[in-house]
Amino acid sequence: MKSELELRGVQQRFHARGVADGYITAVDDVSFKLLASPPQIVSLVGQSGSGKSTIARNVLGLQKPTAGSVLYGGKDIFKLNRAEYDAYRRDVQPVFQDPYAIFNPFYRVDRVLWKAVKKFKLASTRAAGLQLIEESLKAVRLEPENVLGRYPHQLSGGQRQRIMLARVHMLRPSFIIADEPVSMLDAQVRKHFLDILLDFQREHGMTTLFITHDLSTVYYLGGEVMVITKGEIVERGSVATVMHEPSHPYTKLLLDSIPQPDPDKRWTTRIQVDELEHLDDNTLGDATKPEAPII
Amino acid sequence: MNDVPANVLEIKGLDVVYSTNRGDVQAVRGINLDVRRGEILGIAGESGSGKSTLAVALLRLLKAPGKVTGGSVIFNPAGRSPVDLLKVHGEELRVLRWSALSYLPQGSMSSLNPVMRVHDQFKDVIVEHAPDRKEAVGDMIPRLLTQVGLEPRVARMYPHELSGGMKQRVLMAIAVALEPDLVIADEPTTAMDVTIQRVILQSLADLRTDFGVTLMVISHDMGVHAQLVDRVAVMYEGQLVEVGDVRQVFKDPQDPYTRQLIESIPQVGRRAS
Repeated sequence: MKSELELRGVQQRFHARGVADGYITAVDDVSFKLLASPPQIVSLVGQSGSGKSTIARNVLGLQKPTAGSVLYGGKDIFKLNRAEYDAYRRDVQPVFQDPYAIFNPFYRVDRVLWKAVKKFKLASTRAAGLQLIEESLKAVRLEPENVLGRYPHQLSGGQRQRIMLARVHMLRPSFIIADEPVSMLDAQVRKHFLDILLDFQREHGMTTLFITHDLSTVYYLGGEVMVITKGEIVERGSVATVMHEPSHPYTKLLLDSIPQPDPDKRWTTRIQVDELEHLDDNTLGDATKPEAPII
Repeated sequence: MNDVPANVLEIKGLDVVYSTNRGDVQAVRGINLDVRRGEILGIAGESGSGKSTLAVALLRLLKAPGKVTGGSVIFNPAGRSPVDLLKVHGEELRVLRWSALSYLPQGSMSSLNPVMRVHDQFKDVIVEHAPDRKEAVGDMIPRLLTQVGLEPRVARMYPHELSGGMKQRVLMAIAVALEPDLVIADEPTTAMDVTIQRVILQSLADLRTDFGVTLMVISHDMGVHAQLVDRVAVMYEGQLVEVGDVRQVFKDPQDPYTRQLIESIPQVGRRAS
């Protein structure tokens, strides 16, 4: 079971309208390695459109990279045989962003957990299955009697996100790929969620790839961090080093853009985010023309 | 425009409850608050404190089981007579909406119509709320987009071709299209990354500086308030616990809850306990 997950020179291009060659490159020559042992937390931080969710999709095998490869235990995940693929599927588990979209509203939330029990043959009897589910719910600090038998709409976003963690807890994968799992949760619930991930690392030896745009969460989790912009990883290192001594200008900009909770430390400079760069930029000048009419 | 009242909005004793089968839950309790013309007023508080309920009640978008059980909200649009927002109905309310009172919603993901070009979404709002300006639409759209830092060509695009930050700025441009007296922005930067958030906050500040829009900004993020607003109102369990100048609230909070809220702000370089 102990293994490693590696991206080697991954490139992902998509068709796009209005760009020079008809493609945009979402991920460009990205390589990194996640080790199951010792368990680690690696954050991947970048702004929207930087390619971080595409990387999550590549790692999870949901999207085949245009070039380069994703290796699980040294083998390309798109070339695994059935048994190897099943092992990979079980050993690499996702947690997605939207706690609303992940559940089928017509089924009780129990179903997500029972499906895992049955699919992965975690228990041979119903009683053993239920016991497992209850243990896992408790591990993510949910009271089984408060959530079992309920429909998704009867639970809060934080509860739903923790049910996904309970599912992960049942499966004990080596790797968790968490794509913006806390961006829709408020501060307190967010902290709970992060603490559970840290528990998983310490107590169950799970390695997490934590994808986020939020630097304060990265800081809270600690471990390693990779900074991605425009599809390229521009800086990587321990959280303490990257946060306190950022070396790449983009990392500096990110850190400087965190709104300081101090009215005396307001930003004095303005930034322009080149979000429009996927369009051809010959008309960009219009936006800054001084003679542009104003109200 | 000489004798325009100094307050755009005067909220007095506002109560809002949600009826449940276990009795009423009071989400907003006896709020008294003035919004001054030309200011940016921040509404702070944790989830469940009643911030959004306050906003939807003011906008008259409150849906059952929520209901306003008391109070008044006097709205003083420039060049019109004052009205109690809680008492206007039908056509009268429709006329006020957008042209005098507009709304910048949180979900830039779901607030635009996915099958309409940006241009048509502007037209929709303008024709609906200011039919007399129908002819001017063609000139207004590029100007409004430029105002929020977008290129005029964005008008021809569909929402899925825009990033989250661009969509939010399109919404901002739509919100100010008819030069409203007051814009209520509900969590305008939540779930955005820091650089985009910074651009949006810049643009919001510009709306006030350049066009004199009065803004009410609801956010749970104290960093947003510190960077953007002139005054902050802090809500806790449906009540207003403190209202004051942003510097005073941050430097010398009077209420114990406000103090707690400011102390618990997570900061890079300081681990939350």
